[in-house]
Amino acid sequence: MTTATIATDHKIAVHTELVDESIVKWYFYAALLFLTTSMLAGILVSLQLIQHNPFTGIEIFSPGRWRMVHTNAVAYGFLANGFLGCLHWAIPRLTLHPVLDKRLSWFIYAAWQFVVGATAVGILFGEAQGLEWGETPVWIDPLAQVGLLLVAINFMTPIARMKGPMYVSLWYFLAAFIWTFLTYAMGNFIPEYFVSGTSAGAVGGLFIHDLVGLFVTPLGWGLMYYFVPILIKKPIWSHGLSLVGFWGLAFFYPLQGIHHFLYTPIPMFLQYGAVVSTIAVELVVTTVIINFFGSIWGNWSIVRTNLPVRYFYTGMVFYFLTCLQCSFQVTLTFQKIIHFSDWVVGHAHMVMFGVFSMWIMGMMTYLFPRLLKREWASQNLIEWHYWLSTVGLAVMAADLILLGLFQGWSWAALEPWDASTDFSFPFWVLRTIAGLAMFGGLLALLTNIWKTVKLAPAKA
Amino acid sequence: MNRSMAWTVTIVFGVLILIPSMLGFMMKFGELVELTKGVSDGGGFAITPVVNYLLASLGFFCLLLWAALNGMFRDLEQPKYLMLENERELDANV
Repeated sequence: MTTATIATDHKIAVHTELVDESIVKWYFYAALLFLTTSMLAGILVSLQLIQHNPFTGIEIFSPGRWRMVHTNAVAYGFLANGFLGCLHWAIPRLTLHPVLDKRLSWFIYAAWQFVVGATAVGILFGEAQGLEWGETPVWIDPLAQVGLLLVAINFMTPIARMKGPMYVSLWYFLAAFIWTFLTYAMGNFIPEYFVSGTSAGAVGGLFIHDLVGLFVTPLGWGLMYYFVPILIKKPIWSHGLSLVGFWGLAFFYPLQGIHHFLYTPIPMFLQYGAVVSTIAVELVVTTVIINFFGSIWGNWSIVRTNLPVRYFYTGMVFYFLTCLQCSFQVTLTFQKIIHFSDWVVGHAHMVMFGVFSMWIMGMMTYLFPRLLKREWASQNLIEWHYWLSTVGLAVMAADLILLGLFQGWSWAALEPWDASTDFSFPFWVLRTIAGLAMFGGLLALLTNIWKTVKLAPAKA
Repeated sequence: MNRSMAWTVTIVFGVLILIPSMLGFMMKFGELVELTKGVSDGGGFAITPVVNYLLASLGFFCLLLWAALNGMFRDLEQPKYLMLENERELDANV
């Protein structure tokens, strides 16, 4: 157990007083439970596409519903739980102040599992709200909104108590708590109760993309700015440049969600605004990537020897690729071809799994031994987890992106719809195989955690 | 470039670029609002996402001003060293 102390603000900060390690661990367990659910749901949907759905005709197992479980479980079950666990570690150590109240943390933990679990059950029983990524049944929305407010209060208190200039991670976290609260309210309440038709579509577009850019992106980058310097034992290359990245995200990101609805009745000035701000964000992303690669320059061997760092930098490569892809695919020219095609599915998997899930896996790989007070039971299994996840994702993304182009060109040539489903079949089979590989990686991780808890000797 | 010169250049560029841009935007947005008054399908729905964006950005502009006025950007590189130092000390006697 960490017993180190540090003098600050005329008092002594102790790791065990700052960080409640058990809540970090339980957030990780919950995250992995929902990731397992989400991946099983994804496999079920992919089996439907290759006409091997074992549950055909059973309403509760209908692929339309399990697709929503797949997306919601990964966003709110895996990513949110994973990030909350990491934040319970990072924020107290960065600010040298504990969260507002550890009992509140446990209440939020329980309430969040209820929200995500009830969302899955509600979706399966046909209670989904008609909003992409916001299918949470309408009666759960107010509970989730209050939960997000409590999360913000619990974590922003130690940040507010801190004195002096803030490290960039805290800027990202601060913004994420405000943005997530506002984004959730905007997406779940405005289209449901206040506006309708095209206006609701425009707000829905902002919601979908702001969930990625203003919820998971700032939390993900904030945590990378925290964990990478610690693991490579070097400060970030330029703190000033990292702040350029943060403020660039703050001002360019919020308008770009409308790029999901190009060629719709939404006024063209809004569509053009979304295109321009998306391309501008790519420039901001480049500054962030330069900063991280500048930090590790000259010390590349650590990527080979340190698995968490390898996870982090693999995620960054995927992040750069997705953002580069994004700056092309939001143009009207590209949209003509790729809209409604599997290109978009490949892109979404590269973002949610290739980037943010990889980062969370890296953080878990680093933190689990510290939380369990013992080394990993099997180094081989953590390597298998990394390689199956990385290769599986790379194959899946490449397969779907290429397929999207073929589908788009086929539709543009006015070929019959059936022709596109026929030539898609082998691509969908490959996607299922890649998904099974990724699931195999997850099983390797779960086995390793179980073996570590049960078998490995505790650290002295 | 000394500190006062840097501030002067920043303010001059800010005035030259930001003020005309903001005026132009406000005029065009005002025209849109006027155009859609009393017309049910005149594109008035576009006002919702623009107002959403403006409110969010205004909040962050205020935060940026607050941060600048409170010295958050005075020594830009110091927080990265302090963070690592704190981490080292917290883990020192594991």
